[in-house]
Amino acid sequence: MSTLAGFRWIGRGLLFALVGLAVGAAFALGLTGLTGRPPAEPVIALGYTGALLGWLLGVGLWDVWAREWLGLSTRSLGAEGWQRYFRFNTDHKVVGVQYLVTFVVILLLAGLLAVLLRIELMSPGQELLQPRDFNTTMSLHGIMMVAVAVATIIGGFANFALPLLIGAEDVAFPRVNAFSYWIIPPVAVLLLLTPFFGGFDTGWTGYPPLSVGPVPQGTLLFLLAFLTFGLSSILGGMNFLVTIAKLRAPGMTWGRLPIFVWSVFAAAIISLTATQFVAAGLLMVILDRVVGTAFFDAARGGDALLFEHVFWFYSHPAVYIMILPAFGIELEILSHFSRKPLFGYKLVVGSFFAIVALSFLVWAHHLYTSGMQDFLHIPFMITTELISIPTGVVFLAALGTIWRGRLWLTTPMLFVLAVVFNFLIGGLTGIFLADVPTDIHLQDTYFVVAHFHYTIVGGEVFAIFAGIYYWFPKITGRMYNENLGKLHFWWMFLLYNATFLPMFWTGVWGMNRRVADYTPNLATLNQVISILSFMLAASFLVFVYNMVVSWARGAAAAASPWRARTLEWQTSSPPPLENFPAPPQVVGYPYDYGTPGAVHAIVPVAGGSADAGTKETSHG
Amino acid sequence: MNRDRVIVFFLWFVLWALGEFLIIGTNLFRYPVAAAEEATIVDSAFRFLTVLAVPVPAFVLSVLVYSVLRFRSSGPDQDGPPVHINRSWAVFWLAWTTGLTLFVMVFPGVTGVLEIRHHASKPVDLLVHAQGIRYAWVLTYPELGGFSTQELVVPVGKHVRFEVTANDVLHSFWIPAFRIKIDAVPGMTTTVSATPTLTGNFAEDPQFRLQCAELCGLDHNKMRLPVRVVSEPDFAAWVAAQPTRPARTP
Repeated sequence: MSTLAGFRWIGRGLLFALVGLAVGAAFALGLTGLTGRPPAEPVIALGYTGALLGWLLGVGLWDVWAREWLGLSTRSLGAEGWQRYFRFNTDHKVVGVQYLVTFVVILLLAGLLAVLLRIELMSPGQELLQPRDFNTTMSLHGIMMVAVAVATIIGGFANFALPLLIGAEDVAFPRVNAFSYWIIPPVAVLLLLTPFFGGFDTGWTGYPPLSVGPVPQGTLLFLLAFLTFGLSSILGGMNFLVTIAKLRAPGMTWGRLPIFVWSVFAAAIISLTATQFVAAGLLMVILDRVVGTAFFDAARGGDALLFEHVFWFYSHPAVYIMILPAFGIELEILSHFSRKPLFGYKLVVGSFFAIVALSFLVWAHHLYTSGMQDFLHIPFMITTELISIPTGVVFLAALGTIWRGRLWLTTPMLFVLAVVFNFLIGGLTGIFLADVPTDIHLQDTYFVVAHFHYTIVGGEVFAIFAGIYYWFPKITGRMYNENLGKLHFWWMFLLYNATFLPMFWTGVWGMNRRVADYTPNLATLNQVISILSFMLAASFLVFVYNMVVSWARGAAAAASPWRARTLEWQTSSPPPLENFPAPPQVVGYPYDYGTPGAVHAIVPVAGGSADAGTKETSHG
Repeated sequence: MNRDRVIVFFLWFVLWALGEFLIIGTNLFRYPVAAAEEATIVDSAFRFLTVLAVPVPAFVLSVLVYSVLRFRSSGPDQDGPPVHINRSWAVFWLAWTTGLTLFVMVFPGVTGVLEIRHHASKPVDLLVHAQGIRYAWVLTYPELGGFSTQELVVPVGKHVRFEVTANDVLHSFWIPAFRIKIDAVPGMTTTVSATPTLTGNFAEDPQFRLQCAELCGLDHNKMRLPVRVVSEPDFAAWVAAQPTRPARTP
């Protein structure tokens, strides 16, 4: 019974969601009855809105927050132990773990969808999946992976580690933080329901007029899910900006911020601002569907190209929401495991902001072949190629940091070294897509597929795994199995490259994206890619086994198993509710490896005081 | 002290040379048949960028692999040297990456765009209308009697201009052998042009096809038509064999 009781808030959320669904649907039926519009889509849209509100209130928003709006006093939900993960919880460490576990599960599910796609692509022609199922599988794989890429680092690692890294007790808006997590489960539910509403065949980009319909209705579910997810992203961005600006421990000046914190700050700017544009674009598509407006219907004065501009005005900056925090994790781990100061700290921070600024000025490189005005080609090619300069600085910092360091090749270190290798290929192939002449041929081919899998999987997902292994002892209080970690790394690294590298060739040789069927000349290469991809998928079994077994039975972790200098390692593993017994006093730079006597922070310890830096700086 | 640098520079040049050999000296970086003048522009830009890019991964890999092999340590007990930045390396790096970036913007970037525009502005010998409809292309030859076909037939050596439209959703007009691509957008007419340089057909080489490249729904992947490039007399014969339609009055 006590196990079941742990799910009582989720149970109440589901119950309230049903009530909300009924109220919203009834309201929509009433409205459409008056106006004579077909009721199906308004019922879905308003029913979902009601269900979302009901879910949030039921899962704990009512007790922790909403009562206050009515002048009532809030009350604590009081579930502890594992149960605290299954309710509206404002502790940033709980929210971080909620995000991480949720998105690792989504990552694995979306990976399974990719396996389905690769089975279909084993040979030309359409055998396994019907056209509708293939398109739905492909679209779901896309949007789920995009969500993983946007939210795992900022929602997971930034939530768990960032307040610790800056010596804060929590984020600036803990209740907003919990809110931004608890609107994610409805997103997942909507997406997983799409196959029962006819699927959706627009890809994650959802270009109108295709996404305006009228069928299949699954598209509306996808649009609502994307919009909801965007809200989570906007709130998360705002929360981290304020947290970093306002909650740094005494002495944690901007010049002493760990690089991961800077990377999240930069990404949060994009998250807060750019996401609002895609939200507007999605809302316009939803209005076209549900209310009958004609933003994108050329026959009634709309413009289909408009959406592509608005969409990429968000979605290109969004790739930097994904990759900037990945760079942060990469450089953070490289410095700690090379036991050398981060090379060119200020230059890297400057580059992050150059990337943020430029990211808003490059969107139309997705539109070279869209039929937009010709005079836009050259300016957008120039801004796009400019980004390679600040991105190059990240490589300079990585190489400068490991050069003559003392490289301790643990699993997290191996993963970030792989980020350097993979992103090198991802970045260089991007030039072929930024260049207008070559992009004309490569646009919408597997060359693009290979390129963004190299940047987002090879760059970011590898950084996510680095982060998981790096912070695992801090999060769980236990050590993972290092041998299994290394096995996972080598298996994943080799098979990942073997799977995705040949896709550059299939693209050049005429294989377009998002197709189940292709010309016979590409059969052999596709068969090889498919077989390799199945072997790649199997590598995650090692990861899951290691995580589950180590979390349950791993050896107890020390407070600072890596002897890294940043603040999260100067408190117990896992940290207590309030993170530190009292606010730490930051007195120095976090990366002063090799400087005898350098101290980053003085951290009060329960029952005495100790300082972090001197104990572990070796004088060799 | 300087031995590390010497080895890395040596490694760099070896990898650089090896990379260039793979690109220029082997079949690994072959391209599909280039059957139009426009295809040559795209392929030469592609090849130039590949050749130019090689020193970058060669350098990064040299430092990365050498460091991993040479600077290993078995634990956190020893620290590396407290180097925060090396100004001359940073300046060298910035100068090098900025120089390369600015260079590729101009060549093959801007020059390639201008060359493609120059080709497009040449006198048009043949006009073809292409309308994307889920899930087919309707091709019309408006200046040759307005007949419609389900196969794109064009004469070699002639500048062909394609006017592309769509009346339902977005499509994209892509002929891999010509390296040309332009979206078909409801409510507007987009154009792209090509001057075929080689005869060929879909049965012999699948690059000779008109492929929809923008996801357009359920049967998007089936939206392709064969392309045939023929000699001028063969083209005239083919046109003569088409059913004529009465010219529309304006």
